Amino acid sequence: MTFDSYTIVITGLGGQGLISLLQILGNALMTNGHKVITAETHGLSQRGGRVICFLRFGNRLGAPIPMIGSTDMIIATEKSCILDVLKFAKPNKSTKLIISTDEKKIINEDYPSEKYLISVLHENSDNIYFVPATEIAENLVKNLKAANTVILGYILRFLPLKKEDLEESLKRQFSGENLDINLKALKEGHKLQ
Amino acid sequence: MATIYNKIVKGNPGVERFFLGNEAIVRGGLESGLDVYTFYPGTPSSEVGEIFLEIFRDVGMKWVESSINEKVAIEVAGAAYARGATVMVGMKNVGLNVASDPLLALATTRPKNSNSALVIFVADDPQQHSSAVEMDSRNYLKLFKIPALEPSNSQECLEFTKRAFKISRELKLPVVLRTVTMVSHARSNVVIGEIKRSEIADDFDLSREVNVASRLYFLELKEDQIYNRMNQALKMSESSSLNRIENEDVKNEYELGIITSGVSYSYVREALDFLELSAPILKIGFINPLPEKLIASFLKRFKQIFVVEENDPYLETQVMAIAQKNGLNLKIYGKDPFSYSKETSLLPFVGELNPTKISLALIKITHIAPKIDLNQIEGKKYKILGRKPILCPGCPHRTTGYALQKAITKIKSKTGKEIYFFQDIGCYTLLAFPPISFANVKYCMGSSIALAQGVAQTNGSLNIAIIGDGTFFHSGIPALLNGIYNKAPILVLILDNGWIGMTGQQPHPGSDTRYYKEGNFKKGINLEDFLQGTGAYVSIIRHDEGNEKEYTARLKELIYEKGLDVLEKQNLHVIVVKDECIQEYIKRHKVRVRHIDVELCNNCGLCYSQFLCPAINEKDDVAYINSSLCLGCGICEEICPNNAINREEL
Repeated sequence: MTFDSYTIVITGLGGQGLISLLQILGNALMTNGHKVITAETHGLSQRGGRVICFLRFGNRLGAPIPMIGSTDMIIATEKSCILDVLKFAKPNKSTKLIISTDEKKIINEDYPSEKYLISVLHENSDNIYFVPATEIAENLVKNLKAANTVILGYILRFLPLKKEDLEESLKRQFSGENLDINLKALKEGHKLQ
Repeated sequence: MATIYNKIVKGNPGVERFFLGNEAIVRGGLESGLDVYTFYPGTPSSEVGEIFLEIFRDVGMKWVESSINEKVAIEVAGAAYARGATVMVGMKNVGLNVASDPLLALATTRPKNSNSALVIFVADDPQQHSSAVEMDSRNYLKLFKIPALEPSNSQECLEFTKRAFKISRELKLPVVLRTVTMVSHARSNVVIGEIKRSEIADDFDLSREVNVASRLYFLELKEDQIYNRMNQALKMSESSSLNRIENEDVKNEYELGIITSGVSYSYVREALDFLELSAPILKIGFINPLPEKLIASFLKRFKQIFVVEENDPYLETQVMAIAQKNGLNLKIYGKDPFSYSKETSLLPFVGELNPTKISLALIKITHIAPKIDLNQIEGKKYKILGRKPILCPGCPHRTTGYALQKAITKIKSKTGKEIYFFQDIGCYTLLAFPPISFANVKYCMGSSIALAQGVAQTNGSLNIAIIGDGTFFHSGIPALLNGIYNKAPILVLILDNGWIGMTGQQPHPGSDTRYYKEGNFKKGINLEDFLQGTGAYVSIIRHDEGNEKEYTARLKELIYEKGLDVLEKQNLHVIVVKDECIQEYIKRHKVRVRHIDVELCNNCGLCYSQFLCPAINEKDDVAYINSSLCLGCGICEEICPNNAINREEL
């Protein structure tokens, strides 16, 4: 059996809810008949440290860590974090880069300039998508913590999943007010152009 | 919301779940009729114990405890095993060091009760994602002489756990279930089986002849362990389906076969796919004792063998020995274990493996030209921000670090003495890194207080030990008593945040029993009473007492005063800083988010560049508090020299 698989790298900062994002997406994919594996590499930081996660699905169970130069999609929930995982992008520049416009600066360090970032991204991919997830979460959903769910709604267009599949998965993860917020965030991300 | 019970316990056999390796281990325990689970939390092993603590009364298990340390955990587990229970004990790799003393005796005992079974779950952490050291616990297997299994994914975590109980029950040997971070903390599809009820009996046989390690019985039991029980284990290993050959009939022009185990197996498959190379793979699941005959018959088919494993060459050295014993002359690639040479080793001793590292090694063996240039990709370097792990916003350790910084500056300027710091294992370890750098020596759990004594007894400097409450209970107590008895002039700071914070706020004996579910069944130990009883000079400071706007100032003065007394009068002082872990605190208190009064803020930067709260940053030339990150500790409000920080009204 040839290994027919799809690999997503997700990077961001600790405390942004990346682990929940993996669970929600993974659960929906599993329910749709895929073999799914997710893994995360993070240090002892609960918040603020860099986190890199992997999600892979297909007709066979993949390894928790993928090959470099071989992934289908890279998501950065904080803009500058994308620079740390570009070795996972395919050299033929087909990897989709989904990048939150959110910037988390660090005291006493220069944040990468827009010009530098754009030139590096174009070196690595012809499919770059910026998502104003934090703004949408703040202005339309009225809850900053829902930014990742906005991204989840956005990437739906690239995945073999229906919106309802992710809604079901959100219902398993959240309840009450949190569920409503996340359902709204999913919708806003989904309808984003 | 799905409760843990619904997620782990409910569900009919055949149902598919999306489980962490650790969740699958819990399910495997339940499907084996588990009676007892004891543990000490440690990443990446902690979830297993957390889940058992949550569900054990509802599923009818006899006993689950988060023990005071791993030594106690394995002793409680060992005697329960002796008396006929089905038992599992869990810890991270370094926990096995703490548990190793009783385990050496326990491994040799031979319980007489048919139901007795003991599985020792050990989670290693290659790449030390969440550990102070990197350690390959497989090396212990030869010392303890007990069987061990190593799963490679969540489904195998469930199945191997069940097998481990079966082997232990049959052989009356403890069986190690060894995972690594990328197995315990990876999540994948798991088809669940049937939960089995416990079969523990109330009449049991605790014969000393088989349970007492002493000169009277030990050597005889050891003989039985090695020549009888381990001999049977070897036979099991030889015929076990846990050791299997994949791509059995495949041939390649290099006459190359691969031997691997655990998560490395999944990386090997990816690397072979990438290189479009086919090779037979011997996947070892039964990692001790190794199936000698199976390995020898596998080796005979090849001219070259590549052994793929993380960290130490545990399999590789044994494969070499098996080849020698069977008169086989073939090239064995891996870590070149006897050379201690980076140049000749194809895989590293240090750090985690991944498919890329294995591909690069396979390229060196086969000279296959890969379809993409991996070295070129690895060589790509972009300017990235140096984001280091940081304490949570509102973390009490940041406050203590801030006050400590001020206090030692004052002590230094008054006395001119050098000040040294001895760190321990906990979130506060992060104070060891710049810009604060409160660390000169640090080893392992519970060592800070003794380390401080080693310098204080030989030098006139001020030596400060920093230890958390959980770690103090774990193994700091003997070191403190040693210091008191030997009149060591040291300052001990016990950062009492109420919980075992770093691994996810598990309770310890000093935790407030009102605030966790199992607390109803516990008698909390009062840390202050305990310390008073030791005869040391003890001071207690509480964040939630007195004027909260003077807390850091009070803390600073206390450290200053006691530090001076250590230097001047050579007394041992203990300061207990009682300030709860913010992650627990916010569960019971309303978070009062702070905000900046932009009229009053003159952007001095104290709050974001000296106090270093991650919720505060600079924006439009004033300080800015990110309301989604602020957890409302209020320290910034106290230390702001311009009174520019206010609290959200309730």
